[in-house]
Amino acid sequence: MRDTSRAVPFLPSARAVFGLSLEGMLWSRRSLVLGGLLAIPVLIAIVYRLVLAARLPAEITGLHLYGYLVALFWVRNALPLAALFYATALIADEVEGRTLTYLLTRPVRRSAILAGKFAAYVVTTLCLSLPAAVVTFFVLATSRGVGLAGSVPDLFRDLGVLVLTLLVYGALFALMGVLMKRPLIPGLLFLFVWELIANLPGYMPRFTITAWLRSLVTHRPAGRGVSEMFGQVLPAGLSLVVLAVLTVAFLWLAIRIFSRREYVLDQ
Amino acid sequence: MSQAPAAAPSMPIEFVRASRWYGPVIALNDVSTVLAPGVTGLLGPNGAGKSTFLKLCAGQLAPSQGEVRLLGRPAWGSPEVFHRVGLCPEPDAFWESLTGLQFLIGLLRLTGYDDAECGRRAMQALETVALVEAKDRKIGGYSKGMRQRIKIAQAIAHEPDVLLLDEPVSGLDPVNRRRVIDLIKRLGREGKTVVVSSHILYEVEALTRRVLLIHNGRVLAEGDVREIRDLLDEHPHTVALRARTPRLVARALVDQPHVLSMTFGADGEWLTVQTAKPDEFYGALHDPAIAAGVTEMYSPDEDLESVFRYLVAR
Repeated sequence: MRDTSRAVPFLPSARAVFGLSLEGMLWSRRSLVLGGLLAIPVLIAIVYRLVLAARLPAEITGLHLYGYLVALFWVRNALPLAALFYATALIADEVEGRTLTYLLTRPVRRSAILAGKFAAYVVTTLCLSLPAAVVTFFVLATSRGVGLAGSVPDLFRDLGVLVLTLLVYGALFALMGVLMKRPLIPGLLFLFVWELIANLPGYMPRFTITAWLRSLVTHRPAGRGVSEMFGQVLPAGLSLVVLAVLTVAFLWLAIRIFSRREYVLDQ
Repeated sequence: MSQAPAAAPSMPIEFVRASRWYGPVIALNDVSTVLAPGVTGLLGPNGAGKSTFLKLCAGQLAPSQGEVRLLGRPAWGSPEVFHRVGLCPEPDAFWESLTGLQFLIGLLRLTGYDDAECGRRAMQALETVALVEAKDRKIGGYSKGMRQRIKIAQAIAHEPDVLLLDEPVSGLDPVNRRRVIDLIKRLGREGKTVVVSSHILYEVEALTRRVLLIHNGRVLAEGDVREIRDLLDEHPHTVALRARTPRLVARALVDQPHVLSMTFGADGEWLTVQTAKPDEFYGALHDPAIAAGVTEMYSPDEDLESVFRYLVAR
């Protein structure tokens, strides 16, 4: 029996929003473009395996290349970009498509709407990125000089870092999406200007997200010379705590703002 | 020990000195009114404040001043009231990749029903708007009339006590227009509170006698639509029709004494008719409209704008 004296409980309503959002998010032009971007390492891995492996010095193994791809391609660039394009649009797409009205005139709390849409974003981006990461790993890990069994734990650890990357950047960009009318440029500036602080010496890298994330990638490429001095590694345990706190804080703020905001949809 | 007197039952929709402005623009100005069960027509030209009125009712906007209450609670920030409220918004906007059935089931889940009940109610709503056969087609492939009907279906599927309908018969062909009008009247008779926003006086007149006239953000008049109608006897009414063969409709109407003028669109699909007696016009239109394949029908907004200018001038 439905209790009509209060809003539908959080979990069932978030699940319903998730169900409504997932298909449109997964089978979109955005997914086609970003799916292609996120799968580029698979191509690189195949080229390495077929052409480059035999020509490169023996100490550059497939796992070295895999480490570069995880740390520099997915964690530093591609996944934050995917988060930017999906998460800033969680509510903006509904506003632009004028479908937000259907969600806001149901007996559900706005927190459940945002949570359901955020869950759909996470599942969509995981569907696009994790298979590419796994395929890349196996293509590179089975190349010369690499023992597969010993590296599998690295794969699971990396998959965890990819999930964390999507969560923390997704939460930040969801917040920017409900806060700003045009969040893309500020988001790009954050990713490609502010996040460069991660390479400075001293305390400053702690004010970036990428410094905490890259500290969790254990087989990241070793820094040499100046980059070794600047690319500092933060404690893994502390990194996990900071990233979890940031994700929760960004999401909480996004929900608070979305819950109080009016949306005047154009006719 | 004496008992406290029971609180008077509140009206389904109450506006208490409610105003709403967007920056420096006043959309609704100091409106106080109550809407009782039954059908109420909300009438006004585009930009009059009808949509703002409905958005305030539907809790989509907060009043800048005053109070708007829905089923006894503040309309803004009370999601629980939407168990008992249905809204058919005006924009032709959908999640295009969903089928009609998925769309209804998805929204019913948000109303708290289990899957079996969602399926049952969705089918019932589809039957009511005659869309059962198209239930598994994507909404992106629906015609304008079908889209309008699925929008109505989502508003009624959870059997709300309060129904807010923004231009519900806009874009419907004559047969479905009749069907929707009958549905709205039936819901009103059943004791639901139905608010129908429209810019077409004769459309509202077909639904109810109780109207709220809004102009420039103010409630201009409240009461019986026939009183307004009496003021407009000499005012011509314009209707635009889109049909496969508009000349067939024209042939059937040309002898009618109430038809003042007819104009064909350059594309060969549109016919615009001016009539002095809308009731007789709509009565005479039914059969030829079916024969000529009329797919769309609307009354240009300027028509009501001139009606309001006429009323205000009086």
